[in-house]
Amino acid sequence: MNWTDEDLVTRSRGGDLESFNQLILRWERPIYALAYRVIGREEDARDVCQETFLRAFRALPGFKGQAKFSSWVYRIALNLCRDWMRRQRRTPTVQMPEGADPEELAAEGGPAESIEDLVSRRELSAVVAEAMALLPEEQRTAIVLKEYHGMTFQEIADLQGCPLSTVKTRLYQGLSVLRRHLEKTGRTPQLVKRV
Amino acid sequence: MSQTFQCGENTALVGYVYDECEASERAAIDAHVAICAACAAELAALQSTRTSLVSWTPPESNLGFQIVRQPQPVFEHRTEPPKRQTSESRPWYGRPVPAWAQAVAATLIFAAGLSLGVVRGIMPTAATPGTVPAAASQSAPSATDLQALERRLRAEIARIQPTSAGVRAEAPVASTSEEQLLARVRTLIEESERRQQRELALRTAQVMRDVDSQRQVDLAQIQNSFGQIEGLTGAEVREQRQMLNYLIRASEQR
Repeated sequence: MNWTDEDLVTRSRGGDLESFNQLILRWERPIYALAYRVIGREEDARDVCQETFLRAFRALPGFKGQAKFSSWVYRIALNLCRDWMRRQRRTPTVQMPEGADPEELAAEGGPAESIEDLVSRRELSAVVAEAMALLPEEQRTAIVLKEYHGMTFQEIADLQGCPLSTVKTRLYQGLSVLRRHLEKTGRTPQLVKRV
Repeated sequence: MSQTFQCGENTALVGYVYDECEASERAAIDAHVAICAACAAELAALQSTRTSLVSWTPPESNLGFQIVRQPQPVFEHRTEPPKRQTSESRPWYGRPVPAWAQAVAATLIFAAGLSLGVVRGIMPTAATPGTVPAAASQSAPSATDLQALERRLRAEIARIQPTSAGVRAEAPVASTSEEQLLARVRTLIEESERRQQRELALRTAQVMRDVDSQRQVDLAQIQNSFGQIEGLTGAEVREQRQMLNYLIRASEQR
């Protein structure tokens, strides 16, 4: 049976551990992706992801369902990312593979995507990661939440604790910096197939 | 939400790009972009930058976290057997000491050391008879006091660490002179200074990076503003020209 998040939260609060594990299974990938894009380090993103669910589990008795479970978990994850950034006092360093292994690439791509397209996409991915690391944390987070998690301006404003207009400004400034970086590195923004 | 669009209103363009604006505002932007090259270019750039972002995907990672039931719930990896031991299941000497208890212990040790130093400073010790004048020992700990303290500490450390006791016993404790102590202090100070310099350099680099990033954003805004002003001026000139042509045509008809 497909339980909703709210159902699973209710059952978890009633002591059903398996229900909480279902919630983890449902949300661990998005939370990991969020942490990775904000922090830029795979291992640390995994740690943040794990710590997020551990904190959520411990705080579950205090969660009264005033917000969506996903919003609540996102907020915990973002706070942890912010703590990590403060602790490390450094800009995110994105780990990118040194070279491209054709076999690995072939396995990664879909049937319609050629090796050349894959290599090109990987290179573009590295450039985008570099450019994202240049952004201030607030702008990077706003872009990540909007672009990769499909949140509305209002949801981002609630998560970041700022007015809606500030979210739009952050998005505009962040996208402008990204555009300039892409142009500077010879990666003029172009149409890329959505994957 | 505003019903009209002002040229150069970049946040409205962001709403347009992400399809989070009202239909009337969308229509206003469409109409404006048709006549304003600067805003049209800005809009196209925002959309193409968004397209590039699609390529950035996080690396595949083996997650699979889950909570397992033990005396106290702990986090485990789904593919691994439970390994972690909760603090409750350990014997008392194996349990982690809480931070507050560590702080209390540290304070007690510091206070004990301080009181020992005060007592030594007031009362001449039996270990240093005749070597230090009583007046001097009352004002500040002398080198002999320090040597005696060092000897005692070394003996205590050697007792605590029996494996390294032999090595430490061979150390020429008695020969530790004031010069050596001063040299050690100097070394410590130099290390501290080097560390501070490193931290200062790191902080400076961080500030420079932040300033540079902000400067780039400001420059982009200025550049955009210029573009918008140019676009506005062009549009106004076109309108005035049309008006002039209309007036000329009207006067010719009369």
